[in-house]
Amino acid sequence: MSARLHTVSDDTRPAVEIHGLGKTYPGGVEAVRGIDFQVAPGEVFGLLGPNGAGKSTTIGMLTTTIEPTSGSARLAGFDVVRHPIAARAVSSVVFQESVLDKALTGRRNLDLHARLWGIQPSAAASKITELAGVFGLSEVIGRPVDSYSGGQRRRLEIARALVSEPRVLFLDEPTVGLDTRIRYELLDLISGLRGRTGMTTLLTTHYLDEAERLCDRVAVMHQGAIVAMDRPAALLARLGSELVELRVSKDPDGALAAMRAHGLAAGDAFAIGSTLTIPLGSHSARDTITAIASLGIDTEAMTTRKPTLDDVYLQLTGSRLAALSTTRHQGEPR
Amino acid sequence: MTTVTAAPATIPLTRPRAPARPSRPAAWATLARRRISLSAHTPREILAPLATPLLFALVIAPALAKIIQAAGGGGADYSTFVIVGTVGLLIPLTCTFAGIGVIVDRATGARRELLTAPIPRALIVLGNMAVAIGVSLLQVGVLMAAGWLRGSHFHATASGVAWFTGAVLAFTVFMYGLAEILANRIPTQEEYVGLTPVVAILPWFIAGALFPISALPVWLAWVARALPTTHVLALLRYGVLDRTGAGLHDIWGMTSTTTDAALSLLVLAGWAILITAAAIRVFTRSAVN
Repeated sequence: MSARLHTVSDDTRPAVEIHGLGKTYPGGVEAVRGIDFQVAPGEVFGLLGPNGAGKSTTIGMLTTTIEPTSGSARLAGFDVVRHPIAARAVSSVVFQESVLDKALTGRRNLDLHARLWGIQPSAAASKITELAGVFGLSEVIGRPVDSYSGGQRRRLEIARALVSEPRVLFLDEPTVGLDTRIRYELLDLISGLRGRTGMTTLLTTHYLDEAERLCDRVAVMHQGAIVAMDRPAALLARLGSELVELRVSKDPDGALAAMRAHGLAAGDAFAIGSTLTIPLGSHSARDTITAIASLGIDTEAMTTRKPTLDDVYLQLTGSRLAALSTTRHQGEPR
Repeated sequence: MTTVTAAPATIPLTRPRAPARPSRPAAWATLARRRISLSAHTPREILAPLATPLLFALVIAPALAKIIQAAGGGGADYSTFVIVGTVGLLIPLTCTFAGIGVIVDRATGARRELLTAPIPRALIVLGNMAVAIGVSLLQVGVLMAAGWLRGSHFHATASGVAWFTGAVLAFTVFMYGLAEILANRIPTQEEYVGLTPVVAILPWFIAGALFPISALPVWLAWVARALPTTHVLALLRYGVLDRTGAGLHDIWGMTSTTTDAALSLLVLAGWAILITAAAIRVFTRSAVN
């Protein structure tokens, strides 16, 4: 038996509203520093940043498992601090780590979610069967989760989150730790969700290609703050249509300064380690490469390519963490 | 620098579905069924706590009774005395084993999913507690039946069984609450298991399980009077073994055995309520870090 909440949220207001949301942990660690954003109903919104940027803490506050120390947040109109049960009723979470009862069957895991979210048993049964089909789990849904592969578990967790037809779906690093093939299969599934359900999705990731592919808008988080927020295409447009990337054998900052002095690089150029990234702007690639070569910079490799969100992120933060994140990401196909 | 843009205007509104949540009894029953399913997959949770008390009831208690009988004491009664006393070991072991399930849930199970469910989080504790009570009642039944088959004589009257059952329930609630607190405060399963002898076994030795607390040194007898285990053992024996309430008299020293029993049950109920409230608080505080 389920009970309707007394207050029904307004469908026309933002699905997620955050004002000055902050979290300072005991000991003074400021994990999230007063962030603001809104997510429209049906929008897919990405929170980007490396480990420690504050993404998971933000998700934790929105899912009522971390208590904010400042600001406010609402899900479908329900304040996460004052009406946490109502906020939880309109949302579901897919966690970064596997959070399943592994001794139970896949169906039992989904059924538990349905019952705890107040779904009528008959509706739940048909929904579970439908989702098992959509997520390719029909053959294993009756087996204990112990016997599932990593990809099957992750698909089961996403299916579980959808059983209650949430207005807001949180995906916290949904593909982290999965091999490349499974990761791309999952991206297809997640990408298919938006057309199918029209629900709002808030996704955190440090795989920037995921955000580029899935999100209507992204917010780049760095050290607990949002340093940029826009559509992926608009963020990419900051770096123009093409850039030069070169790796130098010594003194990258000196090389960058020399290029700036000769008008080859503007303020949007940046250096991470030994790699310099130079947005071309209105310059031609050929002229720029020729001019760089004439400066006598000791260059190990030089290439031109289109900018990616990785470049946007690195330009915005310039952090070593970002560099590490990107290095890990470089081995994967795009 | 923070760049903020408006959300895209072309995104459709979500399908309207008024948020629902289960009724509290339905959610509680769901959580209890979940715990039963998980326990059924790990039978050691049920069988392991039963092993030691059964050994006491079927082997050690009769052996001790023989020695006492040979020395001219009441051997058969002593065997029954110890068997009933063994309940005071069985329940703590069952509850501390149940606490391991809490740690497993936190470390590798679905606790985080439960924490995001639209239910009061206290129900997660109470759902687990309901199963611990059920398992404890079942195990106590098995222990008493084993004792009876081994030749113990119980004096079961309706009121006696009521005192016995009330004591078992209150003590189980207390012990499960304690296990839940420890499981949420102690970071690893290894550390938790290391505490089991201190929490589950040590009090049993001085609570009158093997001999009356009047046989203890005076200062230790006062310590024993403060232990819930002492009260539960006295009540259990009053319920099914000794209607004179000798154990209760050792604690309270009043003239009315019924008053003694009521006071001990009150102490147990008080501890049970206090510890349950503390367990819920500790759980919810540890859940929201």
